[in-house]
Amino acid sequence: MSTDPLKLLNELSLHRLSLSTRRNFLKTCGLSLGAMALTSMLSGCDNSNKTVSSGIDARDITNPLTPKAPHFAAKAKSVIYLHMAGAPSQFELFDYKPLLTKLHGQPCPPSLLQGKKFAFIRGTPLMLGAQSQFDRYGQSGTWLSDRIPYFTQVVDEVSFLRAVHTDQFNHAPAQLLMHTGSAQPGRPSIGSWATYGLGSENYNLPGFVVLTSGGVQPDAGKQIWGSGFLPSVYQGVQCRSKGDPVLYLSNPEGITRNIRRQAINAINEVNELTFEEFGDNETVSRIGQYEMAFRMQMSVPEVMNIKDEPDYIHEMYGTQVGKESFANNALLARKLVEKGVRFVQLFDWGWDSHGVDKFSALEVGMINKCRETDRAIAALLMDLKQRGLLEETLVVWGGEFGRTPMQENRNGVSQQYTGRDHHPDAFTMWMAGGGIKKGFSHGTTDEIGYEGISGKQSVYDIQATILNQLGFDHEAFTYNFQGRDFRLTDVQGTVIKDIIA
Amino acid sequence: MTQIESQVCTANAAQKYRTHLSLLLVVCIVLGCQENEVDYNTQIKPILNKHCISCHGGVKKKHNFSLMTRALALSDTDSEAPAIIPGDARHSPFIERLHSSDPEERMPLDAPPLSEEDIQLLTRWIDQGAQWGLHWAYQPLEPPSTSSPEPDALGLIALPTHTTPALAFIDQEIRSQLHSIGLDMNPRAEKGALLRRLSMDIIGLPPPTYLQEQYLRDDNPWTYAQLVDTLLAMPQYGEKWSSMWLDIARYADSKGFEKDQNRSIWTYRDYVIKSFNEDKPYDDFIIEQLAGDLLEDPSDEQMIATGFHRNTPTNDEGGSDNEEYRVRAIVDRVGTTWEGLMGTTMACVQCHGHPYDPFPHKDFYRSFAFLNNTRDADTGEDYPRFKLFDSLQINELNAIKQWIHKVSSAQRAKEIASFLKTTQPVIYSIETDALINADHYDTKYLGLRKDGSARIKGMDLTGKNRILTRLLTPRSGGVLNIYADSLNGLRIARVQLKNSNWTFWIEEIPIKEISGVRDIYLQYQNNTFNNKNYQGALFDWFYPTESFPGREHPEHNKYKNLFYKLLESEPDHTLVMIENPPDRHRMTHVFHRGNWLSKTEEVQPGVPSVLPPLSPSEEKPRLAFARWIVSKSNPLTARTLVNRIWEQLFGQGIVITTEDLGSQGALPTHPQVLDLLSYRWMHQYHWSIKQLIKTIVLTETYQQSAKNTRLKKERDPYNQYLSRGPRIRLSAEQIRDQALAISGLLSEKMYGPPVMPFQPPGLWQTPYNSQDWQESEGEDQYRRAVYTMVKRSSIYPQLETFDMSQRQVCVARRIRTNTPLQALITLNDPVFVEASRCLAQRMTQEGGDILADQINYAYKLGMGHPIDERKNQLLQNLYHKVYQEYASTSSDTIITPGAMALQTVANAILNLDELLNK
Repeated sequence: MSTDPLKLLNELSLHRLSLSTRRNFLKTCGLSLGAMALTSMLSGCDNSNKTVSSGIDARDITNPLTPKAPHFAAKAKSVIYLHMAGAPSQFELFDYKPLLTKLHGQPCPPSLLQGKKFAFIRGTPLMLGAQSQFDRYGQSGTWLSDRIPYFTQVVDEVSFLRAVHTDQFNHAPAQLLMHTGSAQPGRPSIGSWATYGLGSENYNLPGFVVLTSGGVQPDAGKQIWGSGFLPSVYQGVQCRSKGDPVLYLSNPEGITRNIRRQAINAINEVNELTFEEFGDNETVSRIGQYEMAFRMQMSVPEVMNIKDEPDYIHEMYGTQVGKESFANNALLARKLVEKGVRFVQLFDWGWDSHGVDKFSALEVGMINKCRETDRAIAALLMDLKQRGLLEETLVVWGGEFGRTPMQENRNGVSQQYTGRDHHPDAFTMWMAGGGIKKGFSHGTTDEIGYEGISGKQSVYDIQATILNQLGFDHEAFTYNFQGRDFRLTDVQGTVIKDIIA
Repeated sequence: MTQIESQVCTANAAQKYRTHLSLLLVVCIVLGCQENEVDYNTQIKPILNKHCISCHGGVKKKHNFSLMTRALALSDTDSEAPAIIPGDARHSPFIERLHSSDPEERMPLDAPPLSEEDIQLLTRWIDQGAQWGLHWAYQPLEPPSTSSPEPDALGLIALPTHTTPALAFIDQEIRSQLHSIGLDMNPRAEKGALLRRLSMDIIGLPPPTYLQEQYLRDDNPWTYAQLVDTLLAMPQYGEKWSSMWLDIARYADSKGFEKDQNRSIWTYRDYVIKSFNEDKPYDDFIIEQLAGDLLEDPSDEQMIATGFHRNTPTNDEGGSDNEEYRVRAIVDRVGTTWEGLMGTTMACVQCHGHPYDPFPHKDFYRSFAFLNNTRDADTGEDYPRFKLFDSLQINELNAIKQWIHKVSSAQRAKEIASFLKTTQPVIYSIETDALINADHYDTKYLGLRKDGSARIKGMDLTGKNRILTRLLTPRSGGVLNIYADSLNGLRIARVQLKNSNWTFWIEEIPIKEISGVRDIYLQYQNNTFNNKNYQGALFDWFYPTESFPGREHPEHNKYKNLFYKLLESEPDHTLVMIENPPDRHRMTHVFHRGNWLSKTEEVQPGVPSVLPPLSPSEEKPRLAFARWIVSKSNPLTARTLVNRIWEQLFGQGIVITTEDLGSQGALPTHPQVLDLLSYRWMHQYHWSIKQLIKTIVLTETYQQSAKNTRLKKERDPYNQYLSRGPRIRLSAEQIRDQALAISGLLSEKMYGPPVMPFQPPGLWQTPYNSQDWQESEGEDQYRRAVYTMVKRSSIYPQLETFDMSQRQVCVARRIRTNTPLQALITLNDPVFVEASRCLAQRMTQEGGDILADQINYAYKLGMGHPIDERKNQLLQNLYHKVYQEYASTSSDTIITPGAMALQTVANAILNLDELLNK
């Protein structure tokens, strides 16, 4: 009888299983170019540059974040994803609709309401024209509102996606869908996929860093930077503005850096003996992880410290040292990608402009949100550009859905402030850098910005495009779990070729 | 037997490349295939799955050709003729097209051709009749042929007779496969190492010192089996093993989405711990969790058990559709039931037929139908809740029950008692429709404004003369009118509503007696309102009922007051399942492509046809389903649990994919061991998990030393052949518990509401949620990890970093990682810093006067055996270095250099690879 089929199957399943444990890296990454490059890169590091007596390099081959090559040549080496949690209104920023202004105050025609579900709008709402003034800016002559004056100066760097749509109209599931490809919890986030596929360029920092502002975390919670079924080493590491930037980074009182060094030396030396005894490769890996922890204790506070940035940079971003702010996070994002961090995700909370109170009013709260972010976003693009980093850094801006061209009338009652309800059918996002066209617009919405009429792009298309810029064929970039090859884009997604330079 | 012997003989000459060949032989022996007969499962299905099924399977059926079942594969394709003709490979287009030289004809399309060997196999298979086989996991569990009637005396937890031969059989199976790759088992681990492994595995903690002292003595009074019994009898056993189950149950102390409010369901966690400690038979354990509420006169415990499926996340987000999230919860329950209990991935069948396994699309919804009739509906209050009355309230409840029994009937007494405990069955206010100047506020409550009205569809009012309602009335002067059939219909009630000052209260509204199932209209009026948008009344639920019984009795008022006192009381509660009453029965439909808004064909509850049928039963479908899952004819349940226990003990299952025993999962490495244990567990151990664990840890396989060799690394890199004992990083829970135990900090307190040990401030940043991490006091700081608050959007950092599951969905297998963030935790997390300080204290107080002895003492506390001399020396060196460094740099007068040095050594010990592994 032939032996082949079972052999194949066994090999296959072993292979798949080895992918699902980090052990695989012991085997496969040992001789990769990436690891070799890394060794040379690190040779200048501090006294961690040591080889253990068992003959295995402690800065080792076992790191799952070792850089790896994607499917094809990447346009972008890293990503900065700016998520405005709560879903900013496209009508007050980007989607210029003179007709909607004309219709302002008219009852919404029933044809627009038929078969639609809204989170809060009840009965017949009134149409709501833009609450801001529009003009054309840049060489591209793009219509932009007066709420983002700094952004008007960099508008020629970006490609707009004007007809993005989603199928979720509540914040948590829509954010989950945007970042994990599923409105249900449990899938890996896009940053986890990226670091799983590419590893990290910096051996002393996490590969995927998350920064939040606006006082609270996004509605979907920490799971939107979670690793889902991927090993947890790929989950986003939240760096905080207060206390330790990474949890438990600083030594307890009385433990100096030198004492910590001595302690890690002793731990690792005992572990070398343990390795001699049991021959468990995980022990070697652990030795390497303790070394990296030691290095992180230096490198993370260093990169998270913006004090030493020159004044003109602070001026440019509008940063204030010691504060938790979007501006500080934007500057940190630049510093992190400069250091080779693969994926930096900024969540800024407070864009849910329902108009139920001052904070959520288009005419108050949203203006404040624009003030808090506009200057820093423009600065980020300019700063990346002046450092030659924009070419290789993909910057993505967006919310989890859009907002209605109708005024919200929660519970069927007219509201004191002006606001818009959640709207999944059409909204604006933009991308810049990382091989994206400059000064370009893709897609249009109808005359009141209710639905896309051309260039409609789904959330999966956004994800496919981000992966494409990182060098991945999103259909072939899979991870086997529960007997199935999962991908970020599930069974959907098309790369938005039109915006690629 | 002879086959196995010959297997061993062959094996002696085996070379390393023969690994897979030998595994194939073993599988073939197991499945009994003959030399020449091609076996579908082991030989054909892998080829089909790899090359054919993605286009001709359960999802895509290109050219109308599918290989999912024999019937489908032999039926006409778009060419109007079958592609496979049994017995005639030469004329079967299926084979012809594998050979074809035309690239548009040749299969697989746009892919390299199959190997000549594969084509030969497929050809022979068709010539032999093209028989389909049942995938191994769906085959019935047959009685093993290994038993011989020998008694055994293996300790206190009596294992049934025949266990000795079972152990021998398991070890022999493992050995024969090891021999086939030229390896053998390791010798037995050293006593101390084995003691620690056993203790970590059974109670999740280092061995208690008294056990260490006695077991490691030369005149040790304990047999190994007695040691196992002792550990299994400790209450810490349940605390350890519950974690495995709580991952499957996706247990958490918060609701999940957005606001992620705290949820009170910890009595379910306690139920799991108690059930493990009582060694509750697994069949009862499952039935209680899936359908405890449907058992005859369910006990409180059986009600609490149904929290299993109430652990699904719920969404309080404003504007979220409650029905959408109710449906999501049921979808999750179907997936969890199949994956967690039966090792089958059913989630993909929500959208289409299973691509690889024999489950058509409809099967998902047939399972869905079993679970689709519970009362929970994503309500803001997470109803139904089960009140945890204190002893005084229980006395009052019993008094009411007895009195009603006396003045009315036993039936009525039961109804009222059940209503008081669960506040069910009620109609939720969000079930209303036909809203006029009214809305479902925050999608949680019905709010009526001036002259606002709403309809409750189909309320059965036969024999009812009261409607109870829970409501909030923020303004004075309100009147509630209730009409039957329409707003112009018969007015059956009119009541003045008090001003409740923004708090909920319960109103009893007398109504005219009308019978039948009627639509009811509620209307709010208030003449004092000068704005029609003022909110008049906010309703939570409605409950049609009869007036409180025994009106003619002098004690009527006393008991009625008592009734209201209990009804309005808000003691701690837990979430439970309650079945819909007949007038709220839901039909189940197939969702087109899994979209809940796109309902198609109606389906009845049912089980997949590839598995044994459901026994006809008078019971409610959900209960019948639970009984079917744990019926002895169901081949999946026992295999899944046995495999899971094996995974907990060895670090990986006999089938590595514990979540998927289906054809896309891994093949069992030792199928006979899995089947023998599964069969015995059901039939001889009567579903006792303690007996199962005991059997496994008594094997020589388990007791091997964990040492690896170059040869073993090369031939058995993943220890799938079990060429050595398990060496695995401790779980997130064990790492915390061990540090607390060694340092003497660990509290032995069991059960109760979740605790919040120290974590840095500001980690909880949930929107619209002012709840905070309230650090626990006293010994609650030092409880075992299983009692730590599980907030889904912000898992306790130490546990999260060491790979605890997020508890959002069923997790059948944790993936272990090894990261620098873990090192930062065990080095710097204040919990570990405090543990180090206390361990250092113990070292000086209990470990003798000499540093070497103190180090040895601390190490032994964790490892159960003395430390190697060289390691001791390294740690002593650390002590001296830190002493010098600290003495020369610090002017601290409170912490002496000696204390700091010893504390650093203690912390180093907690960070040793040996301590972090079992």
